Order: sequence, then C-alpha cells, then structure tokens
Amino acid sequence: MTALFASGQRMLAIAANTVREAVRSRLLYTLLLFAVLLICAGALLSALSYVENDRILQDVGLGAMRLFGVAIALFVGVGLIHREVERRTVYTILSKPLSRAEFLLGKFAGLVFTVWMQLAIMALAFAAVSRASGAPLGGGHAAACLLLAVELALVVAIATFFSAFTTPMLSSLFAGGLWLVGNLTRDLREIGEASHQPGVELATTWVHRVLPDLASFNLSIEAVHGLPIAASDVWLPLAYGAAYCAVVLVGAVVIFEQRDFR
Amino acid sequence: MRPEASEIVRVSEVTKDFRPGLGLRRKRVLHGISFGVREGEIFGFVGPNGAGKTTTLKILMGLIRPTSGRATILGHDVRETAFRRNVGFLPENPYFYEYLTGREILAFYARLSGLPRAGRDERVLALLEQVGLSHAADARLRTYSKGMLQRVGIAQALVHDPSVVFLDEPMSGLDPIGRKEIRDLILRLRGEGKTVFMNTHILSDVELVCDRVAIIARGRIVHEGAIDEFLGTGERETDIVLGRLAPDLATALEEHRDAQLRRVGDRVEVRVREKDVDAVLQAALESGATVVSITPHRVSLETVFLSAVQAEAHEGER
Repeated sequence: MTALFASGQRMLAIAANTVREAVRSRLLYTLLLFAVLLICAGALLSALSYVENDRILQDVGLGAMRLFGVAIALFVGVGLIHREVERRTVYTILSKPLSRAEFLLGKFAGLVFTVWMQLAIMALAFAAVSRASGAPLGGGHAAACLLLAVELALVVAIATFFSAFTTPMLSSLFAGGLWLVGNLTRDLREIGEASHQPGVELATTWVHRVLPDLASFNLSIEAVHGLPIAASDVWLPLAYGAAYCAVVLVGAVVIFEQRDFR
Repeated sequence: MRPEASEIVRVSEVTKDFRPGLGLRRKRVLHGISFGVREGEIFGFVGPNGAGKTTTLKILMGLIRPTSGRATILGHDVRETAFRRNVGFLPENPYFYEYLTGREILAFYARLSGLPRAGRDERVLALLEQVGLSHAADARLRTYSKGMLQRVGIAQALVHDPSVVFLDEPMSGLDPIGRKEIRDLILRLRGEGKTVFMNTHILSDVELVCDRVAIIARGRIVHEGAIDEFLGTGERETDIVLGRLAPDLATALEEHRDAQLRRVGDRVEVRVREKDVDAVLQAALESGATVVSITPHRVSLETVFLSAVQAEAHEGER
C-alpha cells in the first residue's frame, strides 16, 4: 500500500510538472484563444441565417471544441516523450527511483489534465455564447462534452504511444491519421456490410474492431437537435474509451521499457 | 569475476551492441567489460572520446540496456528502480526544464526521490547554498549560464543525500574556480563516507581526487587499479633546485649522473633519477651550493593513459 502511494506520488510529481510546462507555453494559449474566438463566431454565423440559428451556433461551437481539442492534444502529445529524450531531461529523471512506466503514465496524466482544462474553458465559452444567444442547453450538451473529453484522452494516449518511439513529425502523422481514420471506421464497416462481399465485409469489420471507433464519442447531433440519449450511449463509449486507452498505454510502456536513451 | 565484499558497483562481462542505422548490422561498443567500485572511494573512469565511458555510465543508470552481462549497484540489478533513492547522477552537459526556477527544479527532483514534504524546502535551500546558487534560486533556468546549470546538476544529484554518486564529466563547463570548488565538493563527499564514480577525460582532476582508476579504450578495460599503482610504474625522477651551483659540478652531474640541467635565473634546476638524489645532494652541499627545493617528479597519469590507449589501439589493428 505504501509502495503504491509512493508510486502515485511520483507520477503526480511528473503530471504536475507536465501541467506546469503546458501552462507556461504561449502557443497553447494562442490555440485556446482561436478556439474561443471560433465558438463566439458561431453566434455571428447563426445571426446570418434565417432558420435554425441555434443549431448553427451549437454545431459550430461543438465542432470548434472538437477540432481545437484534438489539435491541442496532438500538438502537446506527439512531442511528449521525444522532447524529454532530445533535451536529455529524461536522464536525470530516470536516475531517480522512478520506473519508466511511472514516468510515461505521469506524463500522460498531466497532459490529459491539461487538455481537459482547455476543454473546460472552451465548454464554458460555448455555454456562455449559447446562453447569450438564447440557444437551449441541456443534459445532451453535458454528455457530448463528457464523451469529447474521453475522445481527447484517447487521442493523447495514441499520441503518447507514438511519441514513445518516434519523432514528433511521424507521431503527428500517425496519431493525426489514426484520428481521421478512427472517425470513419464505423462508416467503413457499414459500407463493408452493404457491399455483400465476404472479403470486404471481414476486412472492414476488423478495421472497425482494431482501430478506435471515435464516432462513438460524437454526440453532437443528439445534443444540438435535442434528441434523446440513452444511458448506454454514454457509459458504453466511456468504458470502451477507458479500455482502449489502457491497451494503448500498456503498448506504450512496453515499447518505452525497451528503449535505449543514447 | 567474484565481487569483493565492500564493492558498491560491479560491472561483469557487460557488452553493448548498437545498430548504427536501420540495417541489421550491429556495432559492438562495449566488449565484455568488468570492473568494481569499492565503498567510500572516488573512482575515476577514464578514456578517450568514444571509448565507451558514457555508454557504461548510462547502463549503470538504467538508461541503456546491456546486450549481455550484468551490472549491479549496492547489490541490485541496474534495471531495478527502488534502490536509486541511494544513487545520485549528474549527466554530461545536463539539461533541465528551463521554464522552472532553481528552487522549483530541485523541489521537483526532491519529490521524485521520495523526500518527505517536511524538510524538503530546507533541503533545497541548503543545497542551493552549498553549490553557490542561492542568489539565483528564483530565476528561471533559461537565464542560467552553463556553469550554473552544472551546479544545478550537482545539486539535483545530491538532493536526496545518496550514498553513491555518479558524475559524468563534472568539471565540464566550469572555470578554474568552479573546478576547484567541485573537486573540493567531491573530496567532501568522500569525507562523508559516500562513494563517487567519476567519468572524465581531464587527467589532472583524476590525479588530484581519485583513489582508484579504470581506463577504457575502444570498449575494453585496459587498466584498473589504485592511482598510486599507476603512478608507481616506471622510473621516478626528482627535481632539485640549487643555488650557487659550481660550473664544474654542473658538468659532472650532466656527464656522470645523466642529470638534466635547466637554468632558472641564478638558480639551476636539476632533474635526476630517484636513486641518484642522495648522491647529488651530498655533492652539491659539499661544493657549497644551497638547496632551494626538492620535488619528487611523479610519472603523470597522462603518460600511463596514453601508453595504455595506444597499446589497445595497436592490439585492435592486429
């Protein structure tokens, strides 16, 4: 129990430092500023329309949160480990009584917290703009934000995974590509099923099973249109996201454990 | 090789292969090296650039995995982590989070090392004072000079009061005063009963502080032993500075004692073999000369180092 507590303390130290690094980065503030501006711009766009003003405002707002959330997660996540190795800060850190797994998980936790902080600010801006424009806000919006938070944690985990063994450039290509494909795997499977060709069906089914199904985290349409959301629409993606994160992080730790820091 | 009872560090038959590129070809950089570091000593790990010093140290710090062989510190395999609360490490040209201040970075390392919250701040302050950085405690590290960063590196290596300290080129980037301070600090650590492992290529520092030395060349240990053993090899010479030396005696010394004479102002410096010192002194005093100084001239580590490294290079060419 004491060992577990000590391990948690070490990871917390790494996580807190990761948050501090992010908080002191100007680029993140710039990205956040643009996100908030885009959310506010939704109000202008909706004012130009004669119909469905609320829908346009909230579509743009939730879309901006998703886009900038993923951009921030990728931007910080892809260089997460590589930067430490490149700057050789990892040398002194790993010489302390800290395992590589604790280091990597601490970095991941710190980054997820940072991304969630940014998401919370964007969500507040979204709520303020919606409230000011008289657009309805409800549980659907909260559920959409919750699942977006899970999606962003998964994007951070994927970025951490690639960052554990490759350069930021390749990490951003792989992680960004995986995010794009991850949003299409459900459609791909449906296309495969509609093709009625066993080979195509099998391939698209496995692509959907192996790659992350990120569409399952998107409740924007339900939130914006006020459609009913079943409890399973929230907890199933939550459980799926947590499990997928765990698998990706285990993979990252296994690879990171084998690395030589030359 | 069996570890000695008081050994703190033991490296046994360690080899390391690297892949230079993406191909399958491997390059061996350590060829089954073995050596030990005893408790309470300052151990110098010496070698030319590219000999394998830093690779060895990184294996000991768990940053690189050995291809074969075993390395232990305090009896623990270097892959373990818990024992590292008794180990301090200063890498070569250390880098730190430059957005942190001196105080913050040391508090961060103290926290990682498991130092309890109570007393952590006092420990950080004491270390900043010890390495002469208390005036810059609240300045961001991006404003620190190279020498100041080296001091931060030393402070973080000592923040948890380890019993073994590994230093990779600790004098690097320091001015002569800074180098002397670090030498004094290393000697003080030994005085406190700590074991110090020092990677360096500055042989004069090794001669001044180390108790034992291992020389590595082309990934092989070519010498290991006490510093006095190294310097005791070969014939010793002594420098005698004489005043009022009669010209005929000077000629006689050159001819019969194989002495080397050098005039320094109105004095003469005579370099003679150690076995001739008594006879030369007696002759000088009898002739009315005055003895200004007698300095035993030790064979420098550089001489031993160069011959060992050259011998290894010749061996490798065969």
